[in-house]
Amino acid sequence: MAEKHKPAPMVEEVSEFEVLEIAVRELAIEKGLFTAEDHQRWTEYMHTLGPLPAARLVAKAWLDPEFKKLAVEDGVKASLEVGIDWVNSMPTQFGTPSDYCNLRVLEDTPKLKHVVVCTLCSCYPRPILGQSPEWYRTPNYRRRLVRWPRQVLAEFGLQLPDDVEVRVEDSNQKSRFIVLPVRPEGTEGWSEDQLAEIVTRDCLIGVAMPKPGQTANDPRPVRPAVNPYHH
Amino acid sequence: MSSSVRYKVMKHLEIVKQLQPSLHYETHAPAPDQIDNEHYRAYTRMSHDVGGEPDVPITWEEKEEEVWEHNTFVTCEVLAWRGVWNAEERRRRQNVDVGQTQYLGLPYYGRWLLTAARILVDKQYITVTELSDKIDEVRKRYE
Amino acid sequence: MSKPHYDREHHVKKATGIGDPQCFKGEAGPPKFKVGDKVRVRDLPDIFYSRTQVYTRGAEATVAELVYESPAPEDEAWDNTEKVVWFYSLIFKQKDLWPDYPDAFANDTLETELPERWLEPL
Repeated sequence: MAEKHKPAPMVEEVSEFEVLEIAVRELAIEKGLFTAEDHQRWTEYMHTLGPLPAARLVAKAWLDPEFKKLAVEDGVKASLEVGIDWVNSMPTQFGTPSDYCNLRVLEDTPKLKHVVVCTLCSCYPRPILGQSPEWYRTPNYRRRLVRWPRQVLAEFGLQLPDDVEVRVEDSNQKSRFIVLPVRPEGTEGWSEDQLAEIVTRDCLIGVAMPKPGQTANDPRPVRPAVNPYHH
Repeated sequence: MSSSVRYKVMKHLEIVKQLQPSLHYETHAPAPDQIDNEHYRAYTRMSHDVGGEPDVPITWEEKEEEVWEHNTFVTCEVLAWRGVWNAEERRRRQNVDVGQTQYLGLPYYGRWLLTAARILVDKQYITVTELSDKIDEVRKRYE
Repeated sequence: MSKPHYDREHHVKKATGIGDPQCFKGEAGPPKFKVGDKVRVRDLPDIFYSRTQVYTRGAEATVAELVYESPAPEDEAWDNTEKVVWFYSLIFKQKDLWPDYPDAFANDTLETELPERWLEPL
């Protein structure tokens, strides 16, 4: 992106996107398609989302083999134990429209590594992982990951031995996915809280592997917003 | 890998990697005999179907979210909550119906936003004159 | 002038308290394929809309799971939910998808989900 586009000029002018967003929202409310309160309720629901429940699900699975079995067999049911109800947590009572209600948990082994992409849009398990990162939405990631997964993973700092099967999950329909990575060495005796801290968003997408001492995604350039939304 | 379908798929990806949106100054509708079946498939392709297209490495970036981007996402979800559309209709409209130039040319949530405006018009919940007047009125608030 | 009327309640009535795709469970009839079956992805016309990626067309895959029942995306994209079909999770060998995939990584795979009408038995 950065290479292809010149930065937008820094002007004090309201953007056409900002104008259109207000226009559409106000018209929908004036026509009675939804209420201002509906919009507010969904905004508040969005505030509650982030990668923590998914990290906790992984930590629980590392500690409890029975829970791991449940997570792999029925991700929606397992989510309940980390406070996420894929059907009823949101204002609809029928799940979020865009993320549906079919979480699948992809279990890595020492010989199998999963990584998730959505080549057709940017499907992402928002109810349990929050909003997707910008790089995940780029056509570049979506074009290349399915065909050159090892190159793309190497760009994220992940180099895998030849005998490890890399499995790309192209999330193209109504299922949503998180990766359950292998528990790293050096975490023996850790509590659920300690373990959850090293399961970063990138680990849950599959472009990183958890390791003791790393509690954040690898640092990357951040494109600033003109009028940033503060979560 | 010997089947003719697989051969056509690889050929298709070779063609569409050349099919980039740009500000064309001279793109004329060609005569029928100038478009063979391979090019028909390329031009009528679904713009969202990018898996396997060759591309070069880029810098992976995080991004702050604009207020309008956040509001747009919420509006689209609430429109679905209240039955104006379902997520598949939204995905079809914003990822395919927009065409390749807008698909690759506009920001991610820019496409969501235009599509939310479009569904209100297409399903006749609003008229285009109402939308146009509203945009004009909102603009004036900032003058 | 004429103005269309849209039923904005049909999905909320069907899915409330149940979820989507769970609300379509039991509507697809018996599945044509089972776990372990070898299939080939058909190269059907994808006029106007589809979620069957071009890169899968004509390739062989193995059924890994019957994931759920749902209308095909081609139909649901126009809000038509009359015909519910089985969706299958399929595993492809990367070497079957990409002629230039390195031999050193012959074990690598790709998984994706497709509706029944896109699959034919091998």
